[in-house]
Amino acid sequence: MNNSNEVLVKIEDLKMYFPIYRGVIRRQVGSVRAVDDVSLEVYKGETLGLVGESGCGKTTLGRTVLQLYKPTSGHVYYEDVDLTKLKPEAQRQMRKYMQMIFQDPYASLNPRMSVRDIIGDPMVAFGAASGKQIDDRVRELLQLVRLDPEYANRYPHEFSGGQRQRIGVARALAMNPSFIVCDEPISALDVSIQAQVVNLLEDLQRDLGLTYLFIAHDLSMVRHISDRVAVMYLGVVVELSDRNEIYYNSLHPYTKALLSAIPVPDPAYYETHQRIILEGDVPSPANPPSGCRFRTRCPIAIDECALERPELREVIPGHFVACIRVNPEEVQHKEVIDQESL
Amino acid sequence: MNDKLLEVEGLETQFNTPDGVVHAVNGVSLELHEGETLCLVGESGCGKSVTVLSILKLIQSPPGKIAAGKAFFKGADLLAMGNEEIRQIRGGQISMIFQDPMTSLNPIMTIGKQLEEPMLLHLGISKNEAQERSVKLLESVGIPQAADRLKDYPHQYSGGMRQRVMIAMALSCNPQILIADEPTTALDVTIQAQIVDLVVRLREELGMAIIWITHDLGIAASIANRIAVMYGGFIIEKAPVSELYAHPTHPYTIGLLNSLPQIQARGRKRLYSIEGMPPVLYQMPHSCPFAPRCKWVVEHCWHENPPLDPIGDGHEVACWVDTVTGKER
Ligand SMILES: Nc1ncnc2c1ncn2[C@@H]1O[C@H](COP(=O)(O)OP(=O)(O)OP(=O)(O)O)[C@@H](O)[C@H]1O
Ligand SMILES: Nc1ncnc2c1ncn2[C@@H]1O[C@H](COP(=O)(O)OP(=O)(O)OP(=O)(O)O)[C@@H](O)[C@H]1O
Ligand code: SF4
Ligand SMILES: [Mg+2]
Ligand SMILES: [Mg+2]
Repeated sequence: MNNSNEVLVKIEDLKMYFPIYRGVIRRQVGSVRAVDDVSLEVYKGETLGLVGESGCGKTTLGRTVLQLYKPTSGHVYYEDVDLTKLKPEAQRQMRKYMQMIFQDPYASLNPRMSVRDIIGDPMVAFGAASGKQIDDRVRELLQLVRLDPEYANRYPHEFSGGQRQRIGVARALAMNPSFIVCDEPISALDVSIQAQVVNLLEDLQRDLGLTYLFIAHDLSMVRHISDRVAVMYLGVVVELSDRNEIYYNSLHPYTKALLSAIPVPDPAYYETHQRIILEGDVPSPANPPSGCRFRTRCPIAIDECALERPELREVIPGHFVACIRVNPEEVQHKEVIDQESL
Repeated sequence: MNDKLLEVEGLETQFNTPDGVVHAVNGVSLELHEGETLCLVGESGCGKSVTVLSILKLIQSPPGKIAAGKAFFKGADLLAMGNEEIRQIRGGQISMIFQDPMTSLNPIMTIGKQLEEPMLLHLGISKNEAQERSVKLLESVGIPQAADRLKDYPHQYSGGMRQRVMIAMALSCNPQILIADEPTTALDVTIQAQIVDLVVRLREELGMAIIWITHDLGIAASIANRIAVMYGGFIIEKAPVSELYAHPTHPYTIGLLNSLPQIQARGRKRLYSIEGMPPVLYQMPHSCPFAPRCKWVVEHCWHENPPLDPIGDGHEVACWVDTVTGKER
């Protein structure tokens, strides 16, 4: 849980455009603006949740932060080091501290490698250990993710989705990282298994002091695990706030629609709540709408929304929103207290 | 909602695989009343799709085999029907939306043509009439400029639009029963909400009954009248929707509901988690299939598989233990 205001990772004006090529000579005809000017700070020890619809740029942002993609422009600082300015080898070294857990537990593990080799791979790559040391560390890591250390010699196909995701977590932890990008680590898993993995991630965070950027489109799970939540739409962050604030006092019309679309496992809820149904689909990030990107689906859009891109403004301490229809003067701070906080 | 439109009794479906016989569905009984929406819920591999595919005789054989059971639709047993007879019902009086929209739309045929085909087959109307009806159908599922978009191919539609086309297609012949297999699982929550909203509206307009498969207990709460929970090829609990969520009774259902984060709750509690994994289906179990993961397990559970028994208020449960008192039933 978040208990510091010390910034661990700072994302500054980050852009990641993918070129679109056409024709036989592969001329560039445009670009997919997957991440388009994002600034965020991740505090030491916190979980920052990142939500938004499919294709809005969550994975791209996570990968660009780790420099798995070379950003089009902007900066990413880990502690005080600007990762975008580092040489490739120095960047690679930084990956000891920054790791990623992937969305698909089936595709992300090499089927021909044993569990020992998968988990030990980062140690070999960084020359951090060898032979027996790796064996010992792998056993320790397997225990940490609550798998039987005897599994070390087995292969991925012998495991269920939840177990594979644990193996992925163990691999990410091999070099004792401080920061982990969790890219939808539970969406491919069954409900009864999701809770197992989420509890594990929470325990590891508490015991090892980890910092998470937690990507998901399941908003109820994101709220459960996060300290703060950032909402993305078409490559930009439209709202950022404390986990309770964003659920009880959401200000951006997109956040409100997303929240109202969450299926709630309680039939009585549907008798008393009217849902906001958004019209249409998300526009293409290759050709996003001018001004506010949400305006084509926004229930409260006005002509001015097409003119300028709304900036992410802090309207209440710690609560940022990018919408010109939100008037800071009228916004009220609703005190929400965690009643059963751990 | 009194007349039984569909009544499935003792359905058993198996698959022969190199590793052995997979007991996918093990004696499922369920009923669907007129105008009712029944949700089948449960984890991946528990037998939801195989159940409904069996009812429509869409199980490929080999490797599959419907080993036992009956499925009465308006008095006639669908499982005893010949191919020609069942084909008249499929896509007509009973229609189905399949789990994956991309594989169930033909990529090289226009949307218009795919919509018209079943109508020409089942409704005996002219090509022109079918075309007019297609436009109306697309409009009713919220596709703008429907008349123009009939000429498009599936790849020109977004995921959400393709799913809406599937619904239009399933509704084209005025079905009495719509079977929808996870129709929104691959979609974003905002599009999911659009589709659920649409189906609820059309259901009221057309008065059809629905079997809706989902693993999302939130969606089930928003759309079902009754819910059947499956585990390892069995229905382990069945109840009217409000009864199920207010008084979940089978240990598995209780665990599932508790393992979801509560969006309305103010605090943050550790999630409840069901330890262990779903069963492998190579053997017909002689114990309760949930016993290895169950917190309530008693000796009896290991020796006999509990039958699905009524416990009042239209609620049925397959468990040897009364989870309210913790005592054996
Ligand atoms: N390597 C790539 N080359 C070209 N375009 C890409 C690449 N990776 C992502 N994109 C595009 O960038 C946009 C953002 O994709 P991204 O995968 O980051 O979205 P996401 O929010 O993670 O979505 P999802 O929830 O489906 O995982 C999409 O339009 C996608 O098609
Ligand atoms: N063609 C087949 N050959 C062998 N086994 C099969 C076949 N089709 C289904 N099965 C098995 O039958 C069981 C039930 O599968 P089914 O598709 O009904 O699950 P489901 O509940 O619909 O799951 P999901 O939520 O993943 O769609 C599974 O164990 C599956 O592996
Ligand atoms: S029958 Fe026994 S093992 Fe099965 S769910 Fe009930 S208590 Fe648990
Ligand atoms: Mg992604
Ligand atoms: Mg299925």
